[in-house]
Amino acid sequence: MFKSVFNPAGTNEQYHTANKVAPPFTFYGAWGPKAAKWKVGLGVYTPFGGLTDWGTTWPGKYTAEMLNLKAIFFQPTLSYRLTDRLSIGAGFVYNHSSVDLTRGIPLDNSSGQSGQAEIKGSGKGYGWNAGIYFKASSKLTIGFTHRSEVKTTIKDGDAFFTVPTSIQGNFPSPNQFTASIPLPATNGIGFGFYPTKQWTIALDANLVGWNSFKALSFDYKNNTATLKDTHSPRNYKNTVSLRAGAQYKAKPDLALRFGGGYVTAAAPDGYVTPEVPDASRVYGTLGLGYTLAKHLDIDVSFEYEHLNSRTQTNIETQLSGTFKSNVYIPGISLAYHW
Amino acid sequence: MKTFRKHIYLIAGLLLLGACKPELHPVTPSKGNADFSKYIAVGNSLTAGYADGGLYLEGQQNSYPSIIAKQMLSVGGGEFKQPLFSADQANGSGYLQLTGFNTDGTPKTATVTSNLAIRGQITVPGFGNVTLYNKYTGGEFNNLGVPGIKLQQITYAPYGNLNGFYERMLGPAAPANTESYLDFVTTGRNFTFFSNWLGNNDALGYATSGGAGDVLTDKAVFEQLYNVLINSLTATGAKGVVATVPDVTAVPYFNTVTVSAVLAGVQKVNPAVQALYINAKTGSGLSDGYAPRAATTSDLIVLTFPTSKIGQIVDSPAGPVPYGLTPYAPIENQYVLDQNEVTLTEDYINSYNTTIKTAAAAKGLAVFDAYAFLNNVKAHGLLMNGISLNSGYISGGIFSLDGVHLTPRGYAIVANEFIKAINATYKSSIPLADITNYRAVKFP
Repeated sequence: MFKSVFNPAGTNEQYHTANKVAPPFTFYGAWGPKAAKWKVGLGVYTPFGGLTDWGTTWPGKYTAEMLNLKAIFFQPTLSYRLTDRLSIGAGFVYNHSSVDLTRGIPLDNSSGQSGQAEIKGSGKGYGWNAGIYFKASSKLTIGFTHRSEVKTTIKDGDAFFTVPTSIQGNFPSPNQFTASIPLPATNGIGFGFYPTKQWTIALDANLVGWNSFKALSFDYKNNTATLKDTHSPRNYKNTVSLRAGAQYKAKPDLALRFGGGYVTAAAPDGYVTPEVPDASRVYGTLGLGYTLAKHLDIDVSFEYEHLNSRTQTNIETQLSGTFKSNVYIPGISLAYHW
Repeated sequence: MKTFRKHIYLIAGLLLLGACKPELHPVTPSKGNADFSKYIAVGNSLTAGYADGGLYLEGQQNSYPSIIAKQMLSVGGGEFKQPLFSADQANGSGYLQLTGFNTDGTPKTATVTSNLAIRGQITVPGFGNVTLYNKYTGGEFNNLGVPGIKLQQITYAPYGNLNGFYERMLGPAAPANTESYLDFVTTGRNFTFFSNWLGNNDALGYATSGGAGDVLTDKAVFEQLYNVLINSLTATGAKGVVATVPDVTAVPYFNTVTVSAVLAGVQKVNPAVQALYINAKTGSGLSDGYAPRAATTSDLIVLTFPTSKIGQIVDSPAGPVPYGLTPYAPIENQYVLDQNEVTLTEDYINSYNTTIKTAAAAKGLAVFDAYAFLNNVKAHGLLMNGISLNSGYISGGIFSLDGVHLTPRGYAIVANEFIKAINATYKSSIPLADITNYRAVKFP
């Protein structure tokens, strides 16, 4: 659950996003004969996405009302154990994305209500991933991972424009659009420490290649003098995330976990938009793992992310004010071993 | 049961999330060193909320003083009453409405004539007919804007008989009025803060009539009356804000029907036509006369010019000729603010604005430089909260259908400019209005 607040410059007002839940999910599975050096795995997860709904009456309604973006990665991977200490893996990424975006159009009808644009579609993209896992000793493991950029293209998405009757000719609706989103590459390095039987400590650092996100463009099939293709510069920067976590095995069937991290912001000053009020963030997590039955584990977790407040004037829209967001991610997972 | 209890915590936790939203703590609004407890607005049609060629309830409700007053509430502002038209007479004087577009993209408008607040007409000897509106009877009010009034008229005692908008705010019925506008705004009002935006009509009346139907107020008279007004308004220690007179060429009334567009239209039908002819001032002095000449792009045609007149055969000293296309039947003076008239008007406006700024500086008043602001909008447009605004007719979003007065969104933008000037001068922090809450031109 992503919750944001906006205070327009020079005012004392506060506008909040609606309480909407965008459930991220992950599914991992691994198969292979016990003795063999190889294993196949499948990951299905949502690395990017978000649901931000500011409503239709806030001061930024002509820049964004609602964004619902989902990217689901299907990632089959083959791993091979070269030696007792060294394993490698590589695989393929298929992404299915969907986007639903609405914003107001500042043209008023005879009752004084403004118009609205809705852009809706889904698309796909491909990428690859690779990793190396090295067991330095019984107390230390190191892993390197790379997941490539996944350029996702939404083709022939639907665009709907609600505008006053007398100017409908300027906004052909329904219309189609094509847009491309470069979901960034991720490079990671992770360390696992096993100081005692009960403790596991993990550290990891990621470099996310957000600088591939230069602009968000919509290419409409039917253009008019009023409805031109749009090109919004984003000029994102690469982000660094640092994370640490620890697990304490209190009892054979109970694990306690906690952790935290810090992520730098991708959106540079002047390019922060209300759809993604991006900012550097710190977060903490708490978790509990419990063995329900012989093959079945249940894990519950809670993550709290605090985005630092940012006072911004967007270059493209001149929307000016302060954003602040918190993210709450409760989690529940079931694991079955066979 | 044990697991169920665990779930209970999880569900309760999820529900709690709904309650904890991020909060920002903007600064507490402050009145600084001004007192906004009783604010009055002095001015003309812009102050009254006039729009689309008329004064009507929706325009009044979105007048810039009412927007300022709403924003002043959080810094100790008091109630702000306006002489509103009643709901069943909401269309007031009547106004223009956009009804659609012609195939060439030019707009079609019609006048709203239902639910008016007109009570009759009187003929004032030596002046003409005056439309009278139903009297406002709701007691004292704070918005004292009178559409049409010039600074030059504020000490003229019988003025209440010549202007129906003023007459409806006064007790006696025309022709029995004897209270000058100066006395009306300053007598017994006990205000602590004022805004004053008078002076536009002293130049605009001349300009909108193409230099034909009105005269520019003498510069020395303007200076003398402006100082009288400001001295009266500040006599009891009230603070305030004043605005300058906008450049006439910054409004779409003079920039929508252009010489090149009209000429291009004519040439489509008759490619042989080389030029439009206008009856133009021969020099930029007050006493210079008029003579026909070919129009240039520096000559401004008024928005209300009926372009269908062009090319119609009219009688002239040289016999029947096409209107506007020969020096024998030039476009009449009232439809064109020609280059010399523009220069003359500009000169007067600059002089008025020097007077306004000097008077404000002498009293330490805040100044909203409407002249600079609107010229900047004309040159560069304005981008706010994802809305692209400019001084274009209809599409620009700021000016209403009469091409001179503003839309509610235009008035909200102006209100914010007043607020910024007030905040800067009095160290106050009146919050700005949300311009997206105010509409632009309504499309059918």
